[in-house]
Amino acid sequence: MSADSTARIESQLGDDFFSSVPGRLPRDGGRERDLRLLAGPAARRRPRMLYGVVAVAGAVLIGAVQMGLSILTTQTSYEIAALTQQEKQLTWQKQILQDDIAGLGSPQYLAANAAALGMVIAESPNYLRLSDGAVLGSSTAAGGASNVDALGRAAVGNSLVAGVPLVTDPAASLETGVSVDELVGADRATPPPIADGLPAPTTH
Amino acid sequence: MTTRATRSPRRRTVVALLVVLIVLVAFIVRLVDIQVVNAEEHESDARSLAMEVGSPLYGTRGDITDVNGATLATTSSVYDAKIDPKLAVQGIKRKDDAGATISVSWPELAVEIAAVTGQDAAEVEGIVTTAVAADPESRFAYLERGLSTEQYRALADLHLPFVGFDAHPHRTYPDGAVAGNVIGFVGSDEAPLEGMEALQNSCLQSSDGEIRYMRGLDGVVIPGTEVQDPAPVNGGTLQLTIDRDLQWYMQQLIAEQTQNLGAESGSILVVEVATGKIRAAAEYPSVDLNDIASSDPADRGSRLFRDSYEPGSTFKPVTAATAIEAGGLTPLSTAWSPDRMEFPNGAVVNDSEHHEAQNLTLTGGLVTSSNVALSQFGSQVDPATRLEYLKKFGVGEGTALNWSGEPKGTYIPTDQWDSQTYYTTTFGQAFTVTAPQVASVYQTIANGGVREPLSLVESCTAADGTVTEPELPEPERVIKEDTADQVGLMLENVFAQGTLAEDIAIPGYRMAGKTGTAQKVDPATGAYKDNLYYTSLVGYAPADDPKYVVLTAFDEPKTLRLSAANRPAFQKAMTQVLKHYRIMPSDSQTPLLPVTQ
Repeated sequence: MSADSTARIESQLGDDFFSSVPGRLPRDGGRERDLRLLAGPAARRRPRMLYGVVAVAGAVLIGAVQMGLSILTTQTSYEIAALTQQEKQLTWQKQILQDDIAGLGSPQYLAANAAALGMVIAESPNYLRLSDGAVLGSSTAAGGASNVDALGRAAVGNSLVAGVPLVTDPAASLETGVSVDELVGADRATPPPIADGLPAPTTH
Repeated sequence: MTTRATRSPRRRTVVALLVVLIVLVAFIVRLVDIQVVNAEEHESDARSLAMEVGSPLYGTRGDITDVNGATLATTSSVYDAKIDPKLAVQGIKRKDDAGATISVSWPELAVEIAAVTGQDAAEVEGIVTTAVAADPESRFAYLERGLSTEQYRALADLHLPFVGFDAHPHRTYPDGAVAGNVIGFVGSDEAPLEGMEALQNSCLQSSDGEIRYMRGLDGVVIPGTEVQDPAPVNGGTLQLTIDRDLQWYMQQLIAEQTQNLGAESGSILVVEVATGKIRAAAEYPSVDLNDIASSDPADRGSRLFRDSYEPGSTFKPVTAATAIEAGGLTPLSTAWSPDRMEFPNGAVVNDSEHHEAQNLTLTGGLVTSSNVALSQFGSQVDPATRLEYLKKFGVGEGTALNWSGEPKGTYIPTDQWDSQTYYTTTFGQAFTVTAPQVASVYQTIANGGVREPLSLVESCTAADGTVTEPELPEPERVIKEDTADQVGLMLENVFAQGTLAEDIAIPGYRMAGKTGTAQKVDPATGAYKDNLYYTSLVGYAPADDPKYVVLTAFDEPKTLRLSAANRPAFQKAMTQVLKHYRIMPSDSQTPLLPVTQ
């Protein structure tokens, strides 16, 4: 850089600037300018100390919280592991119970149980019309015979419950198909058919 | 070069700042490179290096339920027990009750294992001794496959270090054979093989996932390190239109009836008139889905949806509808009908039973199921129009079920009709249909002439809760409402005045329907089989406000060979449908139409 350009910069910046730059003597001599002593920034020291304390305390606090959280997570992870294990046990238990009851709710098992009790699937239905008390339908009581033989001729297989004894007749199962129709008796008394609607009680 | 300028503090500040910036930019570039550009590579590196521990997560195949939500198919688990023969043969040491260490030999352990698995102790012992004899270094053999959860836990509780387990998903069908032919089944690897399991696999199938995580030295998973990639997705729940209680009754009924008649097979179909939804599709013989191996391979599919046949008389109402709409006939139009007639083109048509010649009405033609009468009524419409009506009623068009292997039905183009075909097409011969197609014809008539597409699927509910209903063709008007009413009234008269009136009546209810005795072609000779028929009876009730179509069919009944075979099955099936759906008896009587004039 040439001396010319330096001079140009100096003239642009003015005297004050260069007077404060170290390594350069003021052109007009420094004696005219008195250096004065200023009060030292004693007051600043205290805040610096406070900041330091706050920073260190903060760091310690963060460390402590992190440690605390870490302890808690570790603790929780053991709890999670224990609960996961418990969940597994319960899932197994649930599966075992589900296996135990599988098929017990199937229609063929229920129907066989009902048949073992002597219940029949009867012929056509009757309805009592509430508005005029009329009986709609065949107006005859169900006979003793069932439309289908759900036990003696159980034909809808289910290997889940094939050999399971019936609740209502432990001697029978869907597989053995022991029918207890004979035990119930053929000539059981059937109620008389309703001809003129339900008999209404006489009230006063 | 040291000049005044380069020593300027401002310049130095700028340079320092630039250097800092360059370093910062370099870091940012590297960060983007790591986090964005090559992120996947680093993630997979991290997974394979740091998170080596992973285990598969199995998605569960979806359930199949009936229309009321009762589970028809679900997935549980079974276990394969595997053993390390080399270790097993050495026996183990364990502590007895007193705390003393004792040695337990392999044969003793084999007894304990056999008590759990239900095998023979010698058999269990043999698995290991055979394996060791073959190879003393043998480290793997299956102890038993397909153990239940209960057996698995009992075996695991023996704490044998040389026994391990693999869990497998296992399909269970709580109701066994109920709707077996409709539901279908899957293979041992959960691959769908038959029925709805195959047809609706896209709804039911699940996808497996994987979980990866880090573990501490004590084996505990380090929190926050679990990554599911990909996450497993469970299959959707498939809801069928089938009602399982009704389905069971129909299957029990058809089984008893098929056995009584000595028939090859039998089936019952129940269709809801207003919607076309199939509420029961019963067949015998059938398949117990929990024990497929015990059934004949031929019985594992659905005959109902796969077999087609010449429908015979059950298609006479289609001829009647065509004659009314395109030929201007009415239920009271008449034709002079002997029991055998030779037509001008040389064709000869016989009625199935001998009778005196009479002047039958169109109604009478249906009531007496006279081939001669229907040939005369039907031939008043040109062949092209007749074929068009057959097609409109579904012949050759299939159904909306799209069952695998379902035939669409066949017909002969009118230009190939010979003199006999010209007449036999009026009483259900020379074309084939499936039983669901026949039921669909009666659904159309009962529904005022509008065909609702048959369906077996109510909806599919995905694991995330989205419900998808199947896409079905739009309902289609096949005949005018007035025509449907007239044909319906004639079909009522078939039940009220026909030979089956007494046997089939359900007190209080008006019913409509028609029998059919279809001749069967013997594949060996190509001629009709002698005295062996495919008999069917299809109808709906209550006729004054039709709710359900019921179709019963028997293949080659022996004790009763004609359509009369269907009477008890149809009567009981329809009675059960009316009871099951709490349908009130009719308020009125069937208006009787004249059979002869």
